[in-house]
Amino acid sequence: METVIPKTSVVLSSLLRADFTTQWRNRRAVVLTLIVPGIILMSWKSLIATVGGPFVLSNAITIGLFASGLMGYSNTVARDRDKGIFQRLRVAPIPSWAIMGSRLLVQLTMIVLITTIVFIVGKNYDNITLSPSGYIITYFTAIIGGSVSLSLGQMIVGYIKNPETVNSTTRLVYIAFMMTGIFGEMYMALSKDKVDEIIAYAVQYCPYGTVKTILSIGMEPAKWNSNTTAALLLTLGYSVLFAFLGIKWFKWNTK
Amino acid sequence: MADNNILTVQGLNVNYGDFQAVKDVSFDVRKGEIFGLLGPNGAGKTSTLSAIEGLLKPQSGTIMVDGYNAQEKPLHARASLGVQLQSTSFQAELYVIEVLQLYAGVYGLSLSKNDILAILRNINLQDQAQKRFGELSGGQQQRVSLVIATIHNPRLVLLDEPTTGLDPQSRRQLWERIEAIREKGHAILLTTHSMEEAESVCDRIAIIDHGKIIEIDTPQALIDKHRNEPEVIAVSRRGRITLEDVFIALTGKEIRE
Repeated sequence: METVIPKTSVVLSSLLRADFTTQWRNRRAVVLTLIVPGIILMSWKSLIATVGGPFVLSNAITIGLFASGLMGYSNTVARDRDKGIFQRLRVAPIPSWAIMGSRLLVQLTMIVLITTIVFIVGKNYDNITLSPSGYIITYFTAIIGGSVSLSLGQMIVGYIKNPETVNSTTRLVYIAFMMTGIFGEMYMALSKDKVDEIIAYAVQYCPYGTVKTILSIGMEPAKWNSNTTAALLLTLGYSVLFAFLGIKWFKWNTK
Repeated sequence: MADNNILTVQGLNVNYGDFQAVKDVSFDVRKGEIFGLLGPNGAGKTSTLSAIEGLLKPQSGTIMVDGYNAQEKPLHARASLGVQLQSTSFQAELYVIEVLQLYAGVYGLSLSKNDILAILRNINLQDQAQKRFGELSGGQQQRVSLVIATIHNPRLVLLDEPTTGLDPQSRRQLWERIEAIREKGHAILLTTHSMEEAESVCDRIAIIDHGKIIEIDTPQALIDKHRNEPEVIAVSRRGRITLEDVFIALTGKEIRE
């Protein structure tokens, strides 16, 4: 009797249903990832006239993307790997890419959701509106920016096996990005003095800075310039580098 | 491959860095038989199973599952296998019914909610359908794991220490279920530390130690072959020679970590 291999579409839809259900049951954690973007949107309201709406929105989205990709994705992968959930799936007739592909599709949805929530709060609380093209381009740049946070999360979970260590490392990296975003970007935006060039480069071209730049300029497409193109290329470069290392180092089990 | 074989392992070698966990292992499992792979801790049982399941890439050797080369056609081989891993866990957020729906889909089955509930009723777990896997007792978890391993009616079922941590009632029930699987014509390859269970349930066994298979035969044939050896008589404690006596004599008395 011929052995029948399940159709990839059937397998993928089953995985997606399970992964979306898991994400939905973890909605409290999802809400937590939206707290810092929410604080930015509310506490920076008085600064909008000085720094501009796109500056506030782009920082809120960037922080949200890193919270979701770093703390959400990598911690779930680390926990499931430690419990042997991946190994159980891998003994089924499933291509390995489908297991991770399903999880990444869920994260892609999260990126769109975070961006949408920031837009809604930004419009209703801060009266920030963008042009239609600004909204559309921001969704694309959010997906590109989200890929940096996801690939960085993948790199961390690839390099570190212990789920507790993954958790603490991702929190540290997240705090580092928050510091860069909230203090670095804010300092550069508000400082009347010339900011030290090295600090300015570090803030502008670190993963947080490049993601924030493409999001911010994406909201005002007319302002796109060579710096934005450089930031976009760097964002893609970071994604490729982190993803390459994350896949290279990743082991499906912790033993 | 002989037509009667559902699994043929030939010259299997598995390394972890410089450590060779499985050394030139060869055996076969025939259709409709329960085959036990016995060995002390660290003997190479789980590594052998992992290679068959496709979780480990062997250094060399051939694994044929239901006529498919597991290295060349891994998805075909895995579709013919039902697997219960040593420590199985499922997504903590999913209910039992959702875990079954997931694995039914993963094996390409379209089962309705009623079909899944019927499966759960069959293993007396219909009342646990809306519970999470982690909320079940050890015996209930084993039943769910076993039913998932066989949900797609596989020709070969691999069970890695299925009775570990179970109370006597759950063990007895599990063995009855394993024998029921065999009666449907499936072959079963299992590992266990319980020699009594292996002696009473397995049609044939292989004893593996330090990565090498040192004996393959029926339990009774192994006992008969070794019953008069001084090492076996020396370790015998019950007045009659058992499979455990033969096992201890062949693998040594020292405790393995």
